[in-house]
Amino acid sequence: MLCQICKKKEAAITFTKVVGGQKTEIHLCKDCASIFSDKFSIFPLPQFDINDLLAGLLNAIDLYHKEEGVIPGKKIECSNCHLTYDEFKQSGKLGCSVCYRDFREQLTPLLRRLHGNSEHVGKIPRQSKSKLNKIRKIKQLRKELQELVLQEEYEKAAKTRDEILKLEGVLKKKNAK
Amino acid sequence: MQNKDKSIILQNLKESSTEWIDGQGPLSDIVISSRIRLARNVEGIPFSPRAEQAELKNIFELSRQIVEEDSLFKDSNLLLLDELTPLESQFLVEKHLISIYHAQEKHPYRGCVFNQKETLSVMVNEEDHFRIQYLLSGLQLNNIWKLISDIDDEIEKKVTYAFSEKEGYLTSCPTNVGTGMRASIMLHLPALAMVNGINDILKAISKIGYVVRGFYGEGTEVMGNLFQVSNQITLGLSEEEIIDNLEKVNQQIINKEQKVRKELLSNSKSQLEDQAWRAYGILSSARIISSTEAMELLSKLRFGVGLGIIPYPDLGALNKLMLLIQPAYLQMLTGKGLDPFSRDLQRAVLIRNEINH
Repeated sequence: MLCQICKKKEAAITFTKVVGGQKTEIHLCKDCASIFSDKFSIFPLPQFDINDLLAGLLNAIDLYHKEEGVIPGKKIECSNCHLTYDEFKQSGKLGCSVCYRDFREQLTPLLRRLHGNSEHVGKIPRQSKSKLNKIRKIKQLRKELQELVLQEEYEKAAKTRDEILKLEGVLKKKNAK
Repeated sequence: MQNKDKSIILQNLKESSTEWIDGQGPLSDIVISSRIRLARNVEGIPFSPRAEQAELKNIFELSRQIVEEDSLFKDSNLLLLDELTPLESQFLVEKHLISIYHAQEKHPYRGCVFNQKETLSVMVNEEDHFRIQYLLSGLQLNNIWKLISDIDDEIEKKVTYAFSEKEGYLTSCPTNVGTGMRASIMLHLPALAMVNGINDILKAISKIGYVVRGFYGEGTEVMGNLFQVSNQITLGLSEEEIIDNLEKVNQQIINKEQKVRKELLSNSKSQLEDQAWRAYGILSSARIISSTEAMELLSKLRFGVGLGIIPYPDLGALNKLMLLIQPAYLQMLTGKGLDPFSRDLQRAVLIRNEINH
């Protein structure tokens, strides 16, 4: 292959740029590559532009939705900050934390494409830790309560119910704060 | 909190010796610095670009309160960017205390918190309410993670973070969601650059989800053979995994650089000596010098110092020069605005003073 700059000599060096799985290659001969390095002290980087990637992904997901027969034109809007999904697509920026909940259906495939994953496994804030633990505990106690009622263990069931009420009370207080 | 007077804060900042470029950290001949930043938002308030003025003010006042009350911030300063001139904001960018975006964005109540050593900084009301950043010299991401996680916990005592069990820490841009963490390592790779070995590495790195940037951050071209490698993925991996993976990738690059350095030293020592001493010669005597030329020569000199073939100046002094020769920093030091030609004159003076020290 000929060098893409001088178009005379055989290309010896290849620069590759990968954006969202799409590969662009530039082939240069040794001389042209070294001119590059002299001029700018270093080769032009295969820059990974996150905005290009985002825009590309958003369009791809849209296309997928269309093919799947999801009705277009339905206006999706955040119930809290009123950012529309179209506005998000243009800016690549969400408006508030509620956007993540209200756009979840659209965002999940995007997050999977961006990160290879859509579930957080890292650090948990301390406040949420105790809150998350309480929510999990309530879920578990409710299950136990049902079983106790079925087994007609009313005394134990009453105790479990009280425990649930207490935990729910704590959560409510926290939310009110 | 330390000072309240903007001019005193900036004066101190001009004279400070930035710790993360002191050249004392592990593997400092190749690794300039390590950095972690965490993106955090307060629950119930829209992300900064979409927040109302009163909400932005709330966030700013909240950070003022934290900085004033918390002992972790006792030697820290808080600057309101609205009160700074464009030159002063650019100076903070060049100091790596704020991003270019933060300096240029139009919404009010953008702030910058930083400690005396300039290892810790918090951008207030950037794209996210808080962008906490910690920088240390050499390769030490694990240490940084411990330090920054404590600071994160401390801030969290005063605010409720926007967090979801599924998506983790919620951020303005979905590319940061999850851990909200970007870890990066700044590398000086003159040997690999000399043998044209950089491309293969960059190709490999970008394929496995890492980003490479220049010394001056996002959107900047590489100068002086300085490369900043950072993670792209923030969701679905724990902070420790992200750090571990990044360190492994960087360790491989470091090993390659070390190997090539050794080879060059045994095959072309005279050329390396010549290159380093010539760089020294120009830097110590030039009267007019552009930032590009200065960076190239500083890189060559740093290479020689790292290899032990030229005894001075030390790595810390060279790292510091790479910061000082930037346009806004130069103008702050001179105390007045300078046109590009005057900057080239001033830059030469500054370098001569440092190198001939």
